[in-house]
Amino acid sequence: MGVQKTFVITRFDPDKDEVPKTQSYEIECQDDWKVLDAINFIKDEVDASLSHRWSCRMAVCGSCGMMIDGEPKLTCKTALSDYGDTVQVEPLANFPVVRDLVVELEGFMDKFKHVKPWIVSAKEEAAHRAAATMKEGTYRQSAEELMEFKQFSMCINCLLCYSACPVVSNEPDFLGPAAIALGHRYNMDSRDGGQAERNEIFRGEGTVFSCSYANECSEVCPKGVDPAAAVNQAKLNAVIDWATGFVVSRGGDE
Amino acid sequence: MPDRKASHPQAMAPRVPGRTRTAPPMQPASWRTSTRMKQYSRFGMTGWIYLLASLSAIEMVYALGSGPEAYEQMQRVFAHPLAVLFHAICLFSVGYVLVRFFGLFPKAQPARIGPLKPPPQPVVAAMLYGAWIGITVVLGAILAGGVF
Repeated sequence: MGVQKTFVITRFDPDKDEVPKTQSYEIECQDDWKVLDAINFIKDEVDASLSHRWSCRMAVCGSCGMMIDGEPKLTCKTALSDYGDTVQVEPLANFPVVRDLVVELEGFMDKFKHVKPWIVSAKEEAAHRAAATMKEGTYRQSAEELMEFKQFSMCINCLLCYSACPVVSNEPDFLGPAAIALGHRYNMDSRDGGQAERNEIFRGEGTVFSCSYANECSEVCPKGVDPAAAVNQAKLNAVIDWATGFVVSRGGDE
Repeated sequence: MPDRKASHPQAMAPRVPGRTRTAPPMQPASWRTSTRMKQYSRFGMTGWIYLLASLSAIEMVYALGSGPEAYEQMQRVFAHPLAVLFHAICLFSVGYVLVRFFGLFPKAQPARIGPLKPPPQPVVAAMLYGAWIGITVVLGAILAGGVF
């Protein structure tokens, strides 16, 4: 048996609208629907012009992040029964809006690439360390070493953390929670040799030290990544890396 | 459109603007009433209390350097019920911020610091609270004349 709900959805057509506006849709919803089911129903049955992103429907792809009643949520993971008769659906906060509920992601991709989110090939002492753990041509990593960063590798880049972060909304140059968490994830990876490069990035403007530890990113993270922990761990590592640079030689090109 | 607070106009903007015109980044319509935002604003507003407390401490030091009469006058001002209330609010704010900080600090320890592993999070939290209680007891004893 269904229940009537009104969806107040933000609409924006870059060809026609100066600013975003809202449009209401009253539909009958099934009890077991997620918010995404309702938005898909509106798109399929009521108004085909509505634009939104979604893909996997199981909280893995990170595409369907939106503001539901003012909170950043993965709509495929958010039960409609948790909301009242009227549900407000807006595009993710802090992002430029391309159309309706679709936000511009290129800004994030710029920040993302900045932290070198890949295993930097080991050099010098890191190569020596890696060689010690390498057997039969593969990098071996113990379960204990994996656990040091596993939590931070669960990020699906849904960008809810960017929507919740008060620093992102005020400092356009801030790298933001997900990008820093990923940089920290690689810094903690025993196979990686890029800690010095990333820590230098982290000591720059608009990175880890711009974070005021509001913890909002971790509050809204749907995967339990705890980006606030990663950002603040990265602060300590960046400082230790800077301090040890005075007493320990990092070597260099001969 | 309901009342919405704008984010920084360049928030999450790409370095090279795309071909499609975009609407500027915004906060949600309910940003004022959201629990998280209220919590964060409460935390931020303690900064004003510390600013006022710092100004009154400076005033006290200035009075101390201006002779015994000025100092006694300042003491009388501090004995006023409003000043006592203000100091009670300061104490509450310090407690609020410390409890928040102690809650967040343990998870800010990386899994390893160089070759060392920090103690488990509950131990770090216990150490913080232990230090707080210890310092409070020592300061209390000094102020009460029990030490020195």
